[in-house]
Amino acid sequence: MKDLLERYRSLGIKVKKFNIKKSIRITNKIKVSNLINRLKNKGILLKKIGFLDKGFYVTKSRFSLASTPEYLLGYFFIQEAASQLPAEILEPEGIVLDMCASPGGKTIQLAEKAKVVIALENQHNRIKPLLNNLERVSVKNCIVYNIDARKFEFKVDKILLDAPCSGNFIMDNKWFKRQTVENFEKNSELQKELISAAIGNLKKGGELVYSTCSLEPEENEFVIDYALKNFDIDVVKIKCPGDNAFTRIFGKKLDKRIRYCKRLLPHKTKTQGFFIAKLRKND
Amino acid sequence: MIKKFTKKFGNVELFYTKINNSYYLVNKDLIKLSKKIKYKPESIGLFLGKEENGRFTPSLALLEILSKKSKDKIYVKDIGEIDFLYGKDLRERHIIKIEGEIKDGFLKFVQNEYDENLGLGKIKIKNGKIKIRNKIDRGDFLRRER
Ligand SMILES: C[S@@+](CC[C@H](N)C(=O)[O-])C[C@H]1O[C@@H](n2cnc3c(N)ncnc32)[C@H](O)[C@@H]1O
Repeated sequence: MKDLLERYRSLGIKVKKFNIKKSIRITNKIKVSNLINRLKNKGILLKKIGFLDKGFYVTKSRFSLASTPEYLLGYFFIQEAASQLPAEILEPEGIVLDMCASPGGKTIQLAEKAKVVIALENQHNRIKPLLNNLERVSVKNCIVYNIDARKFEFKVDKILLDAPCSGNFIMDNKWFKRQTVENFEKNSELQKELISAAIGNLKKGGELVYSTCSLEPEENEFVIDYALKNFDIDVVKIKCPGDNAFTRIFGKKLDKRIRYCKRLLPHKTKTQGFFIAKLRKND
Repeated sequence: MIKKFTKKFGNVELFYTKINNSYYLVNKDLIKLSKKIKYKPESIGLFLGKEENGRFTPSLALLEILSKKSKDKIYVKDIGEIDFLYGKDLRERHIIKIEGEIKDGFLKFVQNEYDENLGLGKIKIKNGKIKIRNKIDRGDFLRRER
């Protein structure tokens, strides 16, 4: 644990635990102003999140949000602010592949703009929560496969790879006790396999957003560096809060284009830790 | 089997497909795309319900669709809405109005004051008093998460 704290100092991450504000995303099943008023009448107050399209902080709430009729009617999804960014940054259209989909917050976001979303999830017990959420929000344009995304083959123009990762200390009180560098390295291997599969499924000129809720270079910059070295792809500049990603770290010199990727540091963005990269497959 | 259920609520035409014993609302784009993908999907489009032991259980999404065109509705007050979503039955004091025929055993869509569907209820009449038995309600989404 001491090692990890030291490592975080060298990464410029302030380890100060704070409670991030609860946030929701309003779905397209209701007009935004209607939901704001309905919740207000019940004593639930919302405040727009500046960097998001339909994201709101919950500034006051007397009840559990998930037990409100509005939640049960599919009018909003309880979704942390930073995790609403990847789907927006992808600018979904046409057929979109969501490679790691459950529980589906981002799938729902993608489905609002895409013609069809192909959603993959390899863990059988995580399929049910995904299907429940799609039904609650009445998503009509999604096909779900219970499959390992590394094996899936089908070419599309847009892909979201919201990869499995080690998480971050904001969302998990015991994070420092649970995590080890070996674990980051293990995740990194899986993430490299997933990003290779993603690029394989991308049509020329197609775009891919890679995101994690991890702050570890092994799970982020190293994965993008690996992809840039092994495939004919480029990094796309994105408009997104956060610091530029590292191009030199732990004695390694990485591809300079990685600076266009973003790392969201909790003490600066007041969100959970997050990493976002947008890549384009060259023609 | 889904047809037998939807017919109770008027002439609703749904373009659907089946995976195992589940029904899904689809469109041509979805079907065309799924034929090009070589794997078997878990779900496609909107889940409409499933058959089990010779019985059809509608999904909440199907009730929402059918309720939009139906005349068989019960509108409930705020307190009724919350109680119903907790799986409880409805009493006369919960009810704003009932549309359509009122007969023992009839199924009715249960709507809140915004005419949004909360689920399905069955009319029970005893000693001249009306009670609505909770058959299915959207609180199920929360109960499934637990
Ligand atoms: C970070 S979570 C995704 C969160 C989701 N995108 C959302 O917004 O709700 C990663 C998911 O990927 C799944 N996963 C892990 N390895 C996978 C693989 N090889 N193929 C497909 N899914 C995988 C995990 O089970 C987990 O549900």
